[in-house]
Amino acid sequence: MVDSKQQWKAWLYLSPAIILLLVFTVWPIFNTLRMAFLNGYGNMAAMGGATFDLGIQNFLKVIEYDKFIDCLKTTAILCVATVPISTTLALLIAVALNSIKPLQKTLQTIFFLPYVTNSIAIGMVFATMFNIVGYNPVERAADTWGIINNVIQFFGGEAISWINQGSTYTANIAVMIVYIVWNALPFKILILLGGLQSINKQYYDAAKVDGTPKARVLTRITIPLLSPMLAYVIITGFIGGFKEYSSIVGIFGEKMGPPDDAGRLNTMVGFVYDALEKDRQGLASAGALILFVIILIVTLFNNKVIKKHVHY
Amino acid sequence: MLKKIIAIVLTVVMALGMFALTGCGSKSANNAFVVPSEGFNPNETVDITFTHTMGAKLQEVLNTYIEEFNEIYPNINITHQSAGGWSDINGQINTEIAGGTQPNIAYCYPDHVAMYNIAKSVVTLDNLIASDIAIEGKDEVIGLTDEQKADFIESYYNEGLVYGDNQMYTMPLNKSTEVLYYNKTFFDENGLTVPTTWDEMWDVCKKIKEIDPECYPLGYDAEDNWFITLCEQMETDFTSAENGGQYLFNNDENKAFVKELREMYQKGYFTTQELYGSYTSNLFVEQTDTNCYMCVGSSGGASYQMSNNDTADGTYAFEVGVASIPQYSANNRKVISQGPSLCILKGANTTDQQILASWLFVKFLCTNIDFQAEFSMTSGYMPVIKSVTENANYKAWLEKGNGYEYLVAKCVQVGIDGRDDYFVSPAFNGSSKAREQAGALLLKCLSTDTEDVDKLIDDAFQEALDECEY
Amino acid sequence: MSTKTTVMQERDVKKRTLVQNIVKALGKTGTYAFLLIMALIILFPFYWMIISSLKTLPEYRQAIPTFWPREIMWSNYAKAFEEANLGNLFMNTLYVGLVSTIISLVITVLSAFAFARLEFKGKETLFGALLATMMIPGELFTITNYITVNQLGWMHTFTALIVPFLVSVFYIYLLRQNFMQIPNELYLAAKVDGTSDIKYLWKVMIPLALPTLISITILKMMGAWNSYIWPKLVANDAAHQMITNGLRNAFTDTSGQANYPVQMAAVAIVSAPLFLVFLCLRKYIMQGVSRSGIKG
Repeated sequence: MVDSKQQWKAWLYLSPAIILLLVFTVWPIFNTLRMAFLNGYGNMAAMGGATFDLGIQNFLKVIEYDKFIDCLKTTAILCVATVPISTTLALLIAVALNSIKPLQKTLQTIFFLPYVTNSIAIGMVFATMFNIVGYNPVERAADTWGIINNVIQFFGGEAISWINQGSTYTANIAVMIVYIVWNALPFKILILLGGLQSINKQYYDAAKVDGTPKARVLTRITIPLLSPMLAYVIITGFIGGFKEYSSIVGIFGEKMGPPDDAGRLNTMVGFVYDALEKDRQGLASAGALILFVIILIVTLFNNKVIKKHVHY
Repeated sequence: MLKKIIAIVLTVVMALGMFALTGCGSKSANNAFVVPSEGFNPNETVDITFTHTMGAKLQEVLNTYIEEFNEIYPNINITHQSAGGWSDINGQINTEIAGGTQPNIAYCYPDHVAMYNIAKSVVTLDNLIASDIAIEGKDEVIGLTDEQKADFIESYYNEGLVYGDNQMYTMPLNKSTEVLYYNKTFFDENGLTVPTTWDEMWDVCKKIKEIDPECYPLGYDAEDNWFITLCEQMETDFTSAENGGQYLFNNDENKAFVKELREMYQKGYFTTQELYGSYTSNLFVEQTDTNCYMCVGSSGGASYQMSNNDTADGTYAFEVGVASIPQYSANNRKVISQGPSLCILKGANTTDQQILASWLFVKFLCTNIDFQAEFSMTSGYMPVIKSVTENANYKAWLEKGNGYEYLVAKCVQVGIDGRDDYFVSPAFNGSSKAREQAGALLLKCLSTDTEDVDKLIDDAFQEALDECEY
Repeated sequence: MSTKTTVMQERDVKKRTLVQNIVKALGKTGTYAFLLIMALIILFPFYWMIISSLKTLPEYRQAIPTFWPREIMWSNYAKAFEEANLGNLFMNTLYVGLVSTIISLVITVLSAFAFARLEFKGKETLFGALLATMMIPGELFTITNYITVNQLGWMHTFTALIVPFLVSVFYIYLLRQNFMQIPNELYLAAKVDGTSDIKYLWKVMIPLALPTLISITILKMMGAWNSYIWPKLVANDAAHQMITNGLRNAFTDTSGQANYPVQMAAVAIVSAPLFLVFLCLRKYIMQGVSRSGIKG
């Protein structure tokens, strides 16, 4: 029998959390659905006395919109490119870190540093590394090519406009991939190293006795035993990737693109916020719901694929 | 477990979401203000708020004149605050309208007002202006007298009418425009004449480029203004506020001038704020590796165009000349008008007395000669009434204007001289998008590398139009 | 014959161990080389930030970059502090971070205690429902919360920055797990002694769960430090601006010369506090992060 004093005490203790969750978590879920299904809903227009019909026009409008497809494309490219790269690199680094004794702690600290930075602030640093300053398109000359271009030129290559005017989409995406991978490494290394350190040493001792080559140890022992952690970093990587926004603001500013093509690198989250700021809450809600469904599908799909390969 | 949770969430959310959908009422709102027949009550205390973008110095001026206003109307309490910059104030007031906490009076651009008007939150001023109801114990009526109306510079006054429905939405407070700053010392040394048309401009650019091949002869700060101004000067279509707003800029004439600008850009004749990455006044003033000898910028920014005087003997590096911007044709002179207007906002809780009090204060600011003069001298903006020169201080200040330390005054004078040329583009729900897209499409067309320029331009126009109409 | 074979075998074994040792040494060297190169890549942006922040603008703009500033410009830091109004931004961020952390901790502790120690109807259902909300991405909440905050009249106040994020289901979950590990006998004994819940929480549970609480505190503070989107929407005015927004704004509105060294100095100033905290509290941060999985 549940003690009635405990009963009300429990609810008393829980009440602040529950009230706040109702207002700022539960209500938004319903309201988002409501606005998403009211055609063309806008808060200011609603105040001005406009009424809205029930329907799915917001969703159609989002899907038909070329720029939304572009946002989706950019988001997907960034996800597909950065998750494998950062996961592989993180795995290699974690395995290497795990195999050494001296300097392990120091290097571990260094590899974690990008995590404790502000993604917008360090984005500005990356931007200066790629930035061309004082470029004159006629003379094809610049004051500062940016350190990355300097390195390219040092090895005999030709400087590229990475983020400035006249830059290509591919160049922009390349910069984003570098930055996102750099930014995503620490978390992945941390998780994978944690996983490695909990693997029973006996497996390795057995492999040593058998004289199994290193590469084989990696693919046959380490990766399978690490698979739950790998699965975890891949799934969170994809979820994070689909919500990419502030890293792009860090590099390109709120224009979300090079100066001569604002919005070129806009992502799905960016699309939602743009719509929100233009008083098109219906559209924003529909966009957010579509994003939610995509993340859900990708996560379920990942789960399914991973279940086949993960050894718990 | 995971699947179960998802299933629960989805069903609950769907069910409640549908429930929530039903709760959507409608209320009607109309913004034509009817002046109550009993007029304004000068004995009852009224609190009104005013949001602007003034800096500290201008706020001092404002405070002085609020005191003066309170000598006439001690019952009106005015609190004012700065919202920061122009983009901030728009966002802030938008959200305040949604929350019902909007100020009574706000600084505004026409595009902003069109946005506020979606929520029917802007008070139209026609009835207030026309009202001849006297105010008890004061020697004024609520409305504007004929003399007051005639005193306004017409083009400024008419900015309140650009909303496509012939109603007056705003009053002009102080205005700025675009002017051409040029390095007069350099022009004199090289025997160059200041261009008055765009053709002359490109000739001058060519000559300057021969003298200094590394330079950008011209810096143009605002890409969107350039596009809109050229449309107006060439009498080609941009937008119309009729029928709730139309986007008309996607036409061959506009494409032709964009193409011409591209050619000039590719020759290295100019740069713009976005392409350069900062206000081009920096290039103009700094005189470092890359020079710039002409700069089209806001007349309100004259203090940023002053040449450096940190040379050893304290003299100025060069003399700055100010001229009206180049035209397409001398018969159709057009210069864009910018700078703050005032609008009166209302919400569900706004009383008639508050609206009347706000109007009286707006009227006071816009028609008070001393305020107009002092505001202009502090900000470098242009007064909106002609009688401002009756203020002796102001007259003396204007006469001091030169290309060195009194550049601001000189610049204001150029602005005043061009007062018949001002225009503003039509404002409607979506006009800010047209402006944004005009700037973006120009930028794209100027610098993108391509084999097929016409296709680039066609695509950029089409894309801009699609974006506007979305 | 037989002795010869043994000798040869012995020699073989020796040879093999030698080869093995060489391979091993090479492997180790390779591993270190790889790690050091990666570490350099990771560190390079920080190095570039610091040297850029100490250069004069003309030196920064040189065609051939210098890898150590010729003239060290400490004044860039003073300038950055002033230009981006960093002092004010620091105070705002600190205020929001501290207040929200303290309130959030109280709420989290109370809820976790209720879930871990008290028996009440619907406990499992409620807990399940809370966990379910973790599935939904935050972007979905933002739209309505923006309207809600607005209607509550909280626009451009610290309240808008603090209240919507006070409850984190994840922290409640984390702390509940931690509380559950504390044997129930302690609680029952305390009850027999007549100790109040609050006193028991304070005297027994909180000290035992301290590492988790520290992790939560740090993550919460880091959250305030890095928040960008929400503050941009609800409180982007000068008086309430948070550090990230202020930083981005100070250098994107193109008023004035784009002074890259000063910009880098500002970035360095903003990055420094987190770095220091990290170096002091490395263990807690890494522990907290590995459990929370924020920032994929």
